[in-house]
Amino acid sequence: MGAMQPILVTRGLTRVYRSDGVATPALRGVDLAIAPGEFVAVMGPSGCGKSTLLYLMGLLDTPTEGTVIVAGTDTKGLADGQRTRLRRKHIGYVFQRFNLLPTLSAEENVALALKLRRRPVGGAAREMLAAVGLEDKRRRRPGALSVGEQQRVAIARALVADPTVLLADEPTGNLDSEASDRVMDLVGRLHRERGQTIVLITHNEQVARRSDRLVRMRDGQLLAD
Amino acid sequence: MPLANILARKVRTAISVLAVGVGVALFLVLVGLTSMLHEIADRTTNVDAHIMVMPASGPALLLGGGLPADKTEARLRAIPGVREAIPVLCWSLNMAGRDQNAFGIRPEDWKFFAGPDRLVEGRPLAGAFEMLIDTRLQQAGGFRLGQEIERLNHTFTIVGIAREGVAGRVFMPIDTLNECLQQDTRRATFFYVKADGPAAVEPVREAVTNLKLSAFTLDEYYARLANLLGDMHLVIGAVVIVAGFVCFLVILLTVYTMVVERTREIGILKGIGASRLQIFALILAEAGLILAGGIITGFVLTLAGRALILHLQPLWTIDIAAVRFVHAAVLAAVGTLLGALHPALRAARQDPVESLRYE
Repeated sequence: MGAMQPILVTRGLTRVYRSDGVATPALRGVDLAIAPGEFVAVMGPSGCGKSTLLYLMGLLDTPTEGTVIVAGTDTKGLADGQRTRLRRKHIGYVFQRFNLLPTLSAEENVALALKLRRRPVGGAAREMLAAVGLEDKRRRRPGALSVGEQQRVAIARALVADPTVLLADEPTGNLDSEASDRVMDLVGRLHRERGQTIVLITHNEQVARRSDRLVRMRDGQLLAD
Repeated sequence: MPLANILARKVRTAISVLAVGVGVALFLVLVGLTSMLHEIADRTTNVDAHIMVMPASGPALLLGGGLPADKTEARLRAIPGVREAIPVLCWSLNMAGRDQNAFGIRPEDWKFFAGPDRLVEGRPLAGAFEMLIDTRLQQAGGFRLGQEIERLNHTFTIVGIAREGVAGRVFMPIDTLNECLQQDTRRATFFYVKADGPAAVEPVREAVTNLKLSAFTLDEYYARLANLLGDMHLVIGAVVIVAGFVCFLVILLTVYTMVVERTREIGILKGIGASRLQIFALILAEAGLILAGGIITGFVLTLAGRALILHLQPLWTIDIAAVRFVHAAVLAAVGTLLGALHPALRAARQDPVESLRYE
């Protein structure tokens, strides 16, 4: 990782879900550090805790034990409002199921990320859509876009606010091979051209091979790095 | 985004808007209908006199000849301070499809009911089988000056039309009305009494009471009529509460359903940076749009309802003061806010991870 400080760190990260008195550990003491500009893929079988790890790193969930340090800020004990502000500033999230708002156009979906941060939109949404090759389809609603195009819009939405880290939860999970290749080409290009730090979850070896670093998980724990 | 969201469910939004609108219209029309009693009270007391004198039983029913007109007039004129004693015989006539209180008066007493500028067309009563009506009745019945109409087995000619606001809508000579009712002597339903001045009103009233007659100043009579409104206000209040509660329930169900349907979307919004406050504000904004649509719909329904009622009942009065529209909007806003509050708080507090996993 060199001399640079990690941009995202987990220390002893543990998450236990409790339901009807039954405790289910999803993560067990995960220590992980992501350097600025790194492209890290996290692989593992279903149920190994990959998504849980990403939710915790993205500050969408609170660990049972351990902590997440984002851009030098220890998030342990932070109030919900503080976590939200930190997430807005540093995290861009791409969900497994694109999750664009169906009542908004592609451009409006991308612009929403800026509006929620009370930033002026200007031409930023359009430019980001151009960067992902969808400027000509910016006025279309998600229903009028292919699944691959929807995922590219989701990536544009995640990046338009210039986050420190892009977290992607199985971004090609619902795509065919051609669409998957196009999305990963885009992700790779963004990583090379913008130096974007990326943490990506996948169960696809081919997708994982595009990363700089592969981390494997099993039963809530990290294996080989 | 709020507008796009509510337009995504057009039928549900339309129903919610209509529910709010009906509540608003119900409140406004009912309030407007209370003006009818005020209008009657205004007309009845809009006379150049100070006191109304009635049989001892009081103003139970202002119809028929309860008083011997000449004898009562003599007794009233004998009271110090009485300047005029004006007999009125009231009887019900069907005019323009509705029963009206016809006022039988002496032609020379017309000046106490209306000044010279009150007549819009024609002239005051002079002959036996003549009738004078007001402009509201003229419009409602399509009557015209010089028209002959059959009532009480006689033919009457409309000789004058007065601007609405005089005591009654129909005037005819008291002697003619007595004859039509086959009274042996001239009878009167009540008297208007004009005192020498304001200072003489109370002594005259007391003296009239000593004659074993009921006497009310015009203000008192107005208040007695207005008291009838007290009961009506209770009824209106109950209806408003029920209507408001229905609005509240409809909004609660609508917004709650919206929140549940968009559980995953709320998780996404939080994932892309929305705070709890922004989620809360978004849900309230959507409810606010339904409220705005409901208020506008309510105002339109009010005007349409008023027009329809007056078309069917042209002699009714439905006056709605402008401030009442503000009251209606405020009531609708309170009901909507209360209905949307719980679902909005629920949405704001949703766990983003659970929301993202929601199917």
